[in-house]
Amino acid sequence: MNQANVHQEKKRLENPPQTIEFKIQRRDRLEAETRWETFEIPYRRNLNVISALMEIRKNPVTKDGTQTTPPVWDMSCLEQVCGICTMVIDGKVRQSCSALVDDLLIVSGSNAISLQPMSKFPNVRDLKVDRSKMFDHLKQVHAWIELDGTHDLGPAPAMSNEQAQERYAYSRCMTCGCCLEACPQYHDDNYIGPQAIAQAKLFNMHPTGKFTIEERLDGLMGDDGITNCGNAQNCVQVCPMSIPLTRAIYETNRDITVNALFGWLKK
Amino acid sequence: MKFSNTFLLRKLHQITGIVPLGAFFFVHMFTNSKAMSGEKVFNDAVADIHHIPYLLFVEIFGIFLPLLFHSIYGIIISGEARVNNFNYGYGRNWFYTFQRITGAFLFFFIFFHILNLRFGLIPGLESYNNPVAGNADKAFDIVAAEFQNPFILTFYILGIAATAWHLAYGIWLFAVDWGIIIGEKAQKYALYACLALAFGLFAVGTNAAIAFVRPCGLFPKVFCSELEKKGVVVPNKSGKF
Repeated sequence: MNQANVHQEKKRLENPPQTIEFKIQRRDRLEAETRWETFEIPYRRNLNVISALMEIRKNPVTKDGTQTTPPVWDMSCLEQVCGICTMVIDGKVRQSCSALVDDLLIVSGSNAISLQPMSKFPNVRDLKVDRSKMFDHLKQVHAWIELDGTHDLGPAPAMSNEQAQERYAYSRCMTCGCCLEACPQYHDDNYIGPQAIAQAKLFNMHPTGKFTIEERLDGLMGDDGITNCGNAQNCVQVCPMSIPLTRAIYETNRDITVNALFGWLKK
Repeated sequence: MKFSNTFLLRKLHQITGIVPLGAFFFVHMFTNSKAMSGEKVFNDAVADIHHIPYLLFVEIFGIFLPLLFHSIYGIIISGEARVNNFNYGYGRNWFYTFQRITGAFLFFFIFFHILNLRFGLIPGLESYNNPVAGNADKAFDIVAAEFQNPFILTFYILGIAATAWHLAYGIWLFAVDWGIIIGEKAQKYALYACLALAFGLFAVGTNAAIAFVRPCGLFPKVFCSELEKKGVVVPNKSGKF
């Protein structure tokens, strides 16, 4: 939407619509058929998607008057740091807590908003998904630092400020799943995805984590490994925490090229 | 470090796209461009190719096998794509999809092209039982006769455009996938360079194709007739030149 249209839409919201419509993709249980239900709620300024869902939950009657079950969704922190309320809003994946209804109406130019669960994870019910796959991926890439006992290990190794800054960027990952949802290569165990690659990078950069680099790279070298990246780079565009996901992928690519492709020449 | 079959196949897919296939495309466009200087120069170039030592091995191991692998594995990779451009319409996402579309188109185009001009197996075309390969003395005339058909010429120009794009963007993909170009800025400038290369290859390739129906291609004839004066270019039998 260009600048002129945004201005026009802002003017439209000076005289806002009486009601707004929510088209919600429903599913009763895992594997059940999906269906769409449309709800209508009175317009109020500064709503976010979650407060609108709470409004719908109070009186779950669709627009055409059918009584239905209250929509189910996940939420926790309500300030875009836990990642659990991630869903597909107007076709794009993002956190529903930080999705402001006024902004959505301005961008879409309509009075309706569509809500869907993320499509790349098992859909437990309505807008709720099971993201445990992402935690399996973290195990696969050994995304932690080994400690070899409970005894005193002495002071932690020093880290340069630059390195600490760079690691901080990766440490912001909240395992929300946006990058995987937007990735055209990620589906059905085909590809481990940018989230795990960035976390492997985070721990590979740690002075103690360096000792287990091999294990992490092995986790990225399988049939579902880093090589399945298609370079569409949607991940870095949709990441709500602005994590340099593509940098993690390409720096790891370089490590792998040097080690795996040319390493045998040292033998 | 253990590597999986997928890893090895992907890397092989990427490298076959650059060498030999990409390198071959440069040589191919160089040879085609000789058509600008007329029939004799082009036919001599074809004859020169016929005189490459171990030609059969060069053809099998340098072109046919890499091409077969690159195209079949490319189709397998394309099958993994869950295209989502309408929801995520970012430039690189379109390029991602476009690389797969051009690949699929080229699968059919190159299959046709090889059957046509290499083996002469497409009935109804000038090259039928009379392919360019093995008929260096008639090479220019065979292609020129086929390109009189505007559909064939258009199909070839589309094929050149798809190849130019697929190769140039493929070079960029190779550079990022092998960790050669990492940073955001470096990737941006490398992409500009690859877009320029794509345009350059398309322009050269298209001009060479048009040189079979119009002497000197899209260039002013004086550009090539200067060469003629110096005795480099000999007008062809039909006196077209």
